[in-house]
Amino acid sequence: MAITAASRTRRPLTLDSIVRSALVGLFVVLMVVFILGPLLWLGVRAFAGNWTFPNLLPDDWTLRWWQVVVNDGALGIAVQNSLFFAPLTVLVSAIICLPAAYAFARFDFPGRRFFLISLFATNAFPKMGLFVTLAALFYALNLMNTVLGILVVHVLGTVVFMTWIPAAAFAAVPRNLEEAARDAGASKLRVFASVTLPMALPGIIVAAVMSFLASFDEAQGTYLVGAPAFMTMPTQMYSLVLNYPTQVAAVFSILLAIPSVALMLAAHKHILGGQLAEGFQIK
Amino acid sequence: MTTTLHKPAELQQTVPPAGVTRPKRLGQRAVGFFMALPPILLIAIFVGFPIVLAFGFSIGLTGGLNHTIATIGQNVHEADAWWGTLAAYQEMFTNKRFLGDLLVTVIVTLVSTATVIFLALGIGLYLKLKGGRMARLLSGLAIVPLFIPVVIASWAILTFYSGTGFLRSVFALFGVDFPVWAFTMVTVIIGSVWTSLPFAVLMVSSGLQSVPNAMIEAARDAGAGSLRTIVSVIVPMAAVPIIIATTFTAIGIVGSFTVPYFTGPNSPNMLGVDMSNYFSAFNQPQQSAVMAFTVFLIASGIAALYVWANFRSAKEQGKA
Repeated sequence: MAITAASRTRRPLTLDSIVRSALVGLFVVLMVVFILGPLLWLGVRAFAGNWTFPNLLPDDWTLRWWQVVVNDGALGIAVQNSLFFAPLTVLVSAIICLPAAYAFARFDFPGRRFFLISLFATNAFPKMGLFVTLAALFYALNLMNTVLGILVVHVLGTVVFMTWIPAAAFAAVPRNLEEAARDAGASKLRVFASVTLPMALPGIIVAAVMSFLASFDEAQGTYLVGAPAFMTMPTQMYSLVLNYPTQVAAVFSILLAIPSVALMLAAHKHILGGQLAEGFQIK
Repeated sequence: MTTTLHKPAELQQTVPPAGVTRPKRLGQRAVGFFMALPPILLIAIFVGFPIVLAFGFSIGLTGGLNHTIATIGQNVHEADAWWGTLAAYQEMFTNKRFLGDLLVTVIVTLVSTATVIFLALGIGLYLKLKGGRMARLLSGLAIVPLFIPVVIASWAILTFYSGTGFLRSVFALFGVDFPVWAFTMVTVIIGSVWTSLPFAVLMVSSGLQSVPNAMIEAARDAGAGSLRTIVSVIVPMAAVPIIIATTFTAIGIVGSFTVPYFTGPNSPNMLGVDMSNYFSAFNQPQQSAVMAFTVFLIASGIAALYVWANFRSAKEQGKA
């Protein structure tokens, strides 16, 4: 039975529609378990004392594991390292990429298409393979286990976000608005600062958030290039899972997820509003 | 490089493309070129150049910048001809462990990508055709993994499906012994789907939303059923975003490391994990490079699809 505009407004309660609603309901329940289940299961663990299988809740509750994490020096350093690299990565990436994003959106220059495709190449090559190839160069340049080496790895992971998403945002600024401002006597810089930039800002914010998180979550490259001299929060997770009680890793996970969730919630309107999807359709 | 450039589709829809309203000035083109140069240089130095270097290393060219890694690494095959040697490739492609890993990687990529796109299409179509609170709830749910770092997600998924995990607990309460999925390829697939879902859903549903409602109404007025409308009107019109979502998902999964590292078995596991093992634990960087180029080869096949889809859409929009 086809869903028509009429049947959407007033649907008779038939067996068909009941079965259909039940199937949709079942699918939603499965999706809730699939998506949220692991996160809740992990979250509960951070406050759990003993937990007997197969009970669905722990036997007793404790905040002891939070104290373990707060008092552990290595974990503290990992937090510091992460909070050092992520903002620095966003800043460096913005300086390198934003002018290029503007150029891609506004200028027609030789090699434009070739440039766009080479940017895509960083994403087309699987990360672990890239890091393995990068390591040979890093050995030769003495960049292994250095701040600069890790920074390079982190910035590489943000180039696509910082170029494509702002480029789509700059391109979406109506040119006649800029021209109207020019006609009213505003200088080029003035037009950029008070017309183009504010209108493209949501796209730039999404790019910055995605870049921050890309750096904050980057584990494989940092591990290969930086471990054990520089451990960030995600690379610390690798050893945490092996060497600490699961509850400690659960607490650490919650701490690691806080910045991501906070930033995503702050920018979710723009991300869901299509800024992200728009950026990935380069032409 | 090329003079017949396609302008961004967004540009053409909203504003006249560069160079139409104003005469093309040489100065402006040069400014654009130099503004776009820094990220390209960064990639050329730290992606392009290392790839060339590593390819040389993989075929046994151990001089120059490859000297350090060739000295550190063990079991390095050195070139016996001017162009190098295929010994490392020969070694790996007769290595049972590598071939098993390759097969596992391909299977996980195919199954996970198919599942992700199927789910994304289902959610996107439900959102487009039905709408309402249930649809928004579903798409909201599918975006949640975007908020969670992959390291945490992998570990959460591992504990959820482990021997003392939620699924086994629930089934044990009913007296059923549910299989342990942790450290098997099942959790690797589950984890890959979990982490890849948000991007695919965002991409696919944004593509589906941009299909004009008038087209769907017209198809229905002409007597097409729901399925017919979806298969021959809606999906073809959103083909490009769907292909982009598919390629990005597949490329992400084929080279994934964290999910299989946390949730997968020791062996066979995906190439991303084994690549890292060969590089760090076994100290055989050349073998690791061979694996990297195998994955690159698979990925570039997928990437070609993406580039083709983008060119096609640019061409279509150019005609319109």
